[in-house]
Amino acid sequence: MRGVSKVFPNGTAALTPTDLRIGAGQFVSIVGPSGCGKSTLLRIIAGLVPASTGECSMPSGSRRAFVFQDATLLPWRTVRKNAQLLLELEGFDKHERDARIAEALKLVSLDGFEKAYPRALSGGMKMRLSLARALALRPKVFLMDEPFSALDEITREVLQDELLRIWALENFTALFVTHNLYEAVYLSSRVIVMSARPGRVVADIEVSLPYPRTPELRQTPEFNEISAKVSAALRGGAVS
Amino acid sequence: MSTPAATADVAVSAARSSGALRRAGSFVKTFGPPVLVFMLFIGLWSLLATTVYGDRNYLLPRPWDVASAAWESRGELWAATKITFVEAAAGFGCAIVIGMAFAVLMSQAKVLERSLYPYAVMLQTVPIVAVAPVIVLWFGYNQRSVIVIAFMIAVFPILNNTLLGLLSTDRNHLDLFRMHDAGRFVQFLKLRLPNAIPNVFAGLRVSAGLSVIGAIVGEFIIGSGGSEGGLGVKVIYAQGKLDTNLLFAEVFAATLLGFLFFVVVSYVGNLLLSSWHESALRQDV
Repeated sequence: MRGVSKVFPNGTAALTPTDLRIGAGQFVSIVGPSGCGKSTLLRIIAGLVPASTGECSMPSGSRRAFVFQDATLLPWRTVRKNAQLLLELEGFDKHERDARIAEALKLVSLDGFEKAYPRALSGGMKMRLSLARALALRPKVFLMDEPFSALDEITREVLQDELLRIWALENFTALFVTHNLYEAVYLSSRVIVMSARPGRVVADIEVSLPYPRTPELRQTPEFNEISAKVSAALRGGAVS
Repeated sequence: MSTPAATADVAVSAARSSGALRRAGSFVKTFGPPVLVFMLFIGLWSLLATTVYGDRNYLLPRPWDVASAAWESRGELWAATKITFVEAAAGFGCAIVIGMAFAVLMSQAKVLERSLYPYAVMLQTVPIVAVAPVIVLWFGYNQRSVIVIAFMIAVFPILNNTLLGLLSTDRNHLDLFRMHDAGRFVQFLKLRLPNAIPNVFAGLRVSAGLSVIGAIVGEFIIGSGGSEGGLGVKVIYAQGKLDTNLLFAEVFAATLLGFLFFVVVSYVGNLLLSSWHESALRQDV
């Protein structure tokens, strides 16, 4: 996957020209304060927003899936039908759909809830379903826009571990936007730090901690050291 | 002699009767309050009609006199109610079809919404009583005019609410559909339309009662010109004869008819929405 320079001036420059190259299978987080253009960057990669200059390219046939900050489930559809939505839109046949839904729901531990409606689910379960809906497409590129920011701390940490487990299994390229630097460091092999006004990349930090990662990692000096580096980059960006 | 089986039997029947009790309890909880209000209303009315208006029952008849008047002319009342029912239902039906069709049309393009919406509002703001004679001129002194008037009164809430529902789709949902190459039709069918259903029913509930009012107003205007008389026509007759008992009975019949429309629409709405929408959330879930 190869991202090239992108500008998004919408009256204001939401994102100054940015070069970005992301290797296949990487877990990359984009972290920054609100208004730094990190969501815009993600939306350009998703093809939801056209770039004003530059272009974004990736290997042909690499399917993209997007997970929003809220679960964006359709309340009139059951868990199963929600998981099926994107497969329907992409025109998969019924046989293929059934197999993929079963697999995706199992991945996020929602098997057994097929007939429930979203309003019966907790916030964490809704987000699991949102992940399952995207996973059913078997995406090569998984784009996530602050997916866990509305969840409580405990649920968030559980889902972070689940996401890492699924990522190890499914081998997609993950691009994860967040404003939580610890979340970024814990999840990713690489953290891109952005700054606001104008939106730009201020640091690109390697996270050389081995996978699989466990919650104990958060207490290690190595984890703290990298977090401090990201934090410094965030502050540096905010001052200038 | 009490065998274990017999004991179990007793336990089962006890459980069953407690279940029945609970069901009776929930029935009282549901219907108790409105029935209580009804009894209070009748009580207060009886009191007023026998004391303050005791010597002027032509102004406020006593409830039991109204009831007996209703019973005496039940055949006539029933026939009139049926006529009004057909007119209101036809007007309501037209309002549903045309109102929703225009809402769908207007949701498709901002320019269509801008060009048509003001006229939809005017359809609502035009004083129906003033425009009714024109309608009668065009459609004649018959039921068709009544249906048109019922339609005119009922169409706007349906159109407005359906449009609101169709346009209030979540931006992220739209992005999701767009990202996966859903065309306009698929987007409409799988996203906009189901998303609008709660709003559609909010409009239908308002219009259900309005369509009956529209039918009555229409009958007022066509008056005795119509060969058959609905409740609106009967009301004018009763007023002319100063038969307040019958007048009240007819007003109640019209009210009940509107109420019936409302209940049917609400029931259908709950049936459709009970599984997922907050407005139809059942208490036990």
